[in-house]
Amino acid sequence: MIYEVTHSTTFDYDAPMRYARCNLRLEPIDWPGQSLLSFSLHVAPEGPISPSHVAAYAGHIARMVVEQPVTELVITARARLSVNRVAALPAPDDPSVAGVARAAVAVADLGVMSPANYIYPSPMIALTPDIAAWCADSLSPGRGIVEAAYELTSRIKAAFRYDGAATETDTTPAEAFDRRAGVCQDFAQVMIAGLRAAGLPAAYVSGYLRTIPPAGKPRLIGADATHAWVMLWCGPARGWLGFDPTNGVGMNADHILTAIGRDYADIAPIDGIFVGQSGQSIKVSVDVAPIE
Amino acid sequence: MDNAAVQPALFDWVEDWVSSYASTAGSGDILRDSFARGETMWDAMLAGVAAFTNGDLANAAERVHRQARELGTAYRLPGESEERPWPLSPLPLVLGERDWRVIEAGVAQRAELHERLLDDLYGPQALVKEGLLPAAAVTGSPHFQRGMIDIDPPGGHRLYIYAADLGRGPDGEWRVLGDHLRAPTGAGYALENRLALSRVMGEHLNRLNVQRLAPFFEAFRQGMVAGCRRSEPRIALLTPGRFNQSYPEQAHLARYMGMLLVEGSDLAVHDDRLFVRTIDGLKRVDAVWRRMDSRWVDPLAFDSHSQIGVPGLMDAMAAGNAVVANMPGCGVGEARGLAAFLPRLSRRLLNVELLLPNTATWWCGQPREAAEVEAMFDRLLIAPAFETAAGLKDNRPVIGATLDADARAALIAAMRARPMDYVGQEVVRLSTMPSVIDGVMAPRPFTLRVFAARNGRGQWQVMPGGFARLGEDADVRATVMGEGVSSADVTVVAGALTEPHPAGSRLPIHIRRNPGTLQSRAADNLFWLGRYLERGEAHLRLVRAALGGTIDADGGMALAPATIDRIAEQLVASGAAAKTARAAERGSAQRDVAALAFAALDNGEESASVRALLATARGIAEGTRERLSADVWRLLDTSLPPLTQADAATMLNRATAFQERFSALAGLAAENMARTSGWRFHDLGRRLERAAETCRLARAFAGDEASVDDLATLLDICDSQISYRARYPEGIALDAVRDLILLDPWNPRSLAYQVDRIVGHLRALPSLRDDGMPEEQVAMATHVAATMAVANAASTDSEAMLGLENRLYALSDAIGARYFLQGSQIVRSTATIRLA
Repeated sequence: MIYEVTHSTTFDYDAPMRYARCNLRLEPIDWPGQSLLSFSLHVAPEGPISPSHVAAYAGHIARMVVEQPVTELVITARARLSVNRVAALPAPDDPSVAGVARAAVAVADLGVMSPANYIYPSPMIALTPDIAAWCADSLSPGRGIVEAAYELTSRIKAAFRYDGAATETDTTPAEAFDRRAGVCQDFAQVMIAGLRAAGLPAAYVSGYLRTIPPAGKPRLIGADATHAWVMLWCGPARGWLGFDPTNGVGMNADHILTAIGRDYADIAPIDGIFVGQSGQSIKVSVDVAPIE
Repeated sequence: MDNAAVQPALFDWVEDWVSSYASTAGSGDILRDSFARGETMWDAMLAGVAAFTNGDLANAAERVHRQARELGTAYRLPGESEERPWPLSPLPLVLGERDWRVIEAGVAQRAELHERLLDDLYGPQALVKEGLLPAAAVTGSPHFQRGMIDIDPPGGHRLYIYAADLGRGPDGEWRVLGDHLRAPTGAGYALENRLALSRVMGEHLNRLNVQRLAPFFEAFRQGMVAGCRRSEPRIALLTPGRFNQSYPEQAHLARYMGMLLVEGSDLAVHDDRLFVRTIDGLKRVDAVWRRMDSRWVDPLAFDSHSQIGVPGLMDAMAAGNAVVANMPGCGVGEARGLAAFLPRLSRRLLNVELLLPNTATWWCGQPREAAEVEAMFDRLLIAPAFETAAGLKDNRPVIGATLDADARAALIAAMRARPMDYVGQEVVRLSTMPSVIDGVMAPRPFTLRVFAARNGRGQWQVMPGGFARLGEDADVRATVMGEGVSSADVTVVAGALTEPHPAGSRLPIHIRRNPGTLQSRAADNLFWLGRYLERGEAHLRLVRAALGGTIDADGGMALAPATIDRIAEQLVASGAAAKTARAAERGSAQRDVAALAFAALDNGEESASVRALLATARGIAEGTRERLSADVWRLLDTSLPPLTQADAATMLNRATAFQERFSALAGLAAENMARTSGWRFHDLGRRLERAAETCRLARAFAGDEASVDDLATLLDICDSQISYRARYPEGIALDAVRDLILLDPWNPRSLAYQVDRIVGHLRALPSLRDDGMPEEQVAMATHVAATMAVANAASTDSEAMLGLENRLYALSDAIGARYFLQGSQIVRSTATIRLA
């Protein structure tokens, strides 16, 4: 499947914003089953953008500096990707939950996708006893890792209510867990907290999800959204596999990865500082168009 | 030591102290051991203490405390906003050459080991690949910063300053309890403790042949200079701000080491270069000693929520344009989980054993070690390997044997679920040193923080001294002691004679008279310090006028009721007694002037009472403490207890006490502050405030309908009674008063005089224009001065005064817009878009 993704973010200011310095983490990475064919980044009004460089975690960062007063700022990323994958299935010879935990702590690798990076609490994901206990029901030590992860994925999908008003960007997993509600970011972070509490290497993925219109309806352009889900390292043989607790499925051909980090803070699509007198309003529009 | 010069009684006192001490001190006490070896240095130190106190140890403690207070040494615990004095023991820890050689070599070695380890972790990562160090023993640290991988440190080093906490065992062996690699605190306290002690002990300390600390700080500075690209670099100390617990130490060190004390908003990055915002525009900064956690240092590289960092600092560093000491990411070496591997890494990286042994540590991330820790559970300290570990209350270490059966089972279960979060450590027992408790020498367990800095040749230089912390009670287990409750100076007694103080030294020093860089924030603070002090004094004068007007020898009113009303009106309108007035209006129709005066003087709830303005001035001064003398700070920092009685005598006494303080502060500013740009901003603030106050007072008391009592009050408030009487024995007349108070350029309290000074200061301050035209604030001030020059007594009516007052406030805004940090606040610095 070839996708054309357009991700555009519009900042509006009541009074001119005088200075901004931001990280743009919008260029998708290459990943097994996915390759980036072309990418362009456009900022209006035009300002200097440093070329993308490799980020601390798995992603690309471009740096944008705005040094003239602006009242509207539009950042548009266009990516063309080829995605070919199916969701992973449990196998009889999958390593056990305990086996994966043991293997993760023993790796001799400090590379960006070393499981050792993803077994500890991270700035936005603390390990809390409530989440640990709830998730542990699916993660008994002897169970096959992939099967266990699917069960946890489905349980979160079933037990949590999707509610954009229930949480905000910096809602902690513990708060989202208490409310049993939130959006993809919250579900992913709850699942990660639970996996890590069991010693499992779990990473946070940002990206896009292709939405399939209801039968007979046309695809709505710009109605797609950014998305987040979970990567779990399933031992040296199976490697990193994706699980999407928002939809209760494994990562498949509808999922387009942009970046992988320990949590949202490592890979937020846009962050940085904006200097000015007034607040800003933000509009995000995402379009995931299947080309062929 | 010249015994003949010492009074014979001294050694009797010392003998008494020591013999009673010896009966309480356990084996392994450092003093007992030293005596057992036949060393004399403790004797000499104690004789020094005996000499200056005539054998009274309680007095020694009191005198040292007083010195520490005078120096402003203070320590703030997390969560406290008030500083509290860090109690300094009158008895320093005395280390002889025998101990010091071991410590010095061991600490320097350990600093070098950490640097090599960091080089590998942020470079080739060979130690992990070779299997000498598990990756998970590195990634567990929240201070491991992946973003720093493959970034070459400018100057070639990541570490410039390092500190180790040492414990001395009962066997006399020193071992390392912990490492400080990010922003070690305490070097400034060591410096201040030494100063306090030497002020009290004076020559006795010299006779002890104690090694000096100053060369260490000079070496540290030179080490940072060596890393910079420019030959005469500008070095800044980056502070999290005055609410940080070690801010007083930072301010002290910045001043001592000649570094600019900056907050994040003082710095800016353009084109990968680092600048400080000064009154002279942007100036290059070559190196930063950061005293904040790397998490906050740069919102673009680390936590995007940081409001106190410098956006882009890491870009400037990566481009080689800014040395950052210590480089972010260094903290990874502090973790207990990693420390377990240091003996092994020392053999691999340095080809030698550690000179100072580690605390024995087992990281449970390895199955065999985890099993051993479980087996030895009751004999070990169970501690977080990194920062958080479930089952340990507040993530604090616990001695296994102290847990009851349930807690024990729960902790072991948690350790089995996430073994990599835990270490087991031997329970370190500490030896004791003498402290003074209730006037007698008593043994207390102690730990020692030792500092090492990279010098100009890139080698490690260890501070001959440090910061000792003493436990509250006699329990000698290191964990129980915690952070300690008091501190002691650490004196290293050299075998060879120390170099004399470098008076008359021939150091090749480049002579400079230029006052140096003035950060915009410091200018801002000094300006507002001037304004608030002047406003406080003005309100005090109003209070005194109110008191003088209502209290007369005959018991009647000294002033006409209409004049008293005007004074009351001023007390209310100025904000000095606004709340009290509002509250009173609900009760009675009559204004109680005495109550208003009382509020304006001493009510801290009033926004502009004298007490409140002094408190505000103190807060502002704290933000620029490195530029104020200790005398100024003490005057601001000592608060008077709130008045409990509102009678006239009490109020007059308090008014006098406040007045003395304002006069002392004004005197120090006038006589002691160097005539730098900083002084100009301070004086500008004072002059501008006094000018505006004078306009306001003239409107109230010198309008066209002013009475003699009004005019007399104005002369009184403006401190011009005597000048007036000398000049006009005929009596009080409106035009003459207006001329003296407003227009006379020779009266230092007149409006014209203030305006002249304002113009003078503004013309002397730097301009950013290169076309020779005056900047906005200069033009505005010159315009005010021109108005004054052509004014006369008849034209200076209330309306004209209101116009001038408004122009002065506009001038203040223009000064702020030109020189200060206005508008550079970050309105939003957070990750902005969530994923849906």
